[in-house]
Amino acid sequence: MARPDSSAIDAALVALLQADATLSILMPDGVYMDLAPPGLQRYVIVSLIIAEDRATFGGRAIEDCLYLVKAVMLATSGATGIKEAAARIDALLEDQPIVADGYDWMGGFRDERVRYVEIDETDSTIRWQHRGGRYRVQMTPTTSLTI
Amino acid sequence: MILTGRDGQVLWDATGASPGTPVAIISLNNFKLSIKTDRIDVSCFGDVNRVYVPGLKDISGSVAGYWNSEELALVEAADQVTPGLLKLVPHTTEPTFFWSGPAYMDADIDTSVDGAPALSGTFSAAGPWVREPIVP
Repeated sequence: MARPDSSAIDAALVALLQADATLSILMPDGVYMDLAPPGLQRYVIVSLIIAEDRATFGGRAIEDCLYLVKAVMLATSGATGIKEAAARIDALLEDQPIVADGYDWMGGFRDERVRYVEIDETDSTIRWQHRGGRYRVQMTPTTSLTI
Repeated sequence: MILTGRDGQVLWDATGASPGTPVAIISLNNFKLSIKTDRIDVSCFGDVNRVYVPGLKDISGSVAGYWNSEELALVEAADQVTPGLLKLVPHTTEPTFFWSGPAYMDADIDTSVDGAPALSGTFSAAGPWVREPIVP
């Protein structure tokens, strides 16, 4: 049996967030891997921080991935939703199975909370709010169940 | 030939029949085999250093990996009161090189909140072991 594509885990995580109607209302500009297109004001970013493989005899048995998942919002007067978006991300990822091609879900939980404000690089009067967490996603290739 | 340890294999036949039909235990990533012979001290007056003669060879060791609910061979082996047949292959591309023999197994499971549950076990010989091939 072919070894599954590790990128399927990234894609499944992004797809899970994209498919959630509540999160879409809170962060209507979408969910992106690593970078959002310019001009957006309310979106979710997913970044792979580190992915460690654990082997057993015969092949890879566990892929232990740590993702940064955060809501990013332009902090204009009266804008709300960053708190709710971070809470929704947590509800979607903490102990919730992720379905990825060629993998079985082992576990998923937050390692650390993330919250900070960023000053815009081009206009120092603009503030960006970032809120979410570093989430660990542990998957096992379905092929690891056989030799 | 020196090869990676990634393709080792631990096989087990619960019946203990020899040569039997040992089946690979999945989700393991480590085995250790200890082949040590007792040394009996026979030092005498006048010897310039201690002198030993060999006693009996002892065969024991350990296996380790991850807990996998679809692979219960190791934990079931720990419940056996009769020995099974254990076969240890350093590399599956050289399947004719192995150690094998009857063994009693013990098992340990180690679960922590931030890791995958680990399964390990120790074994002791329950009869004569063989190393194959005898003449490489």
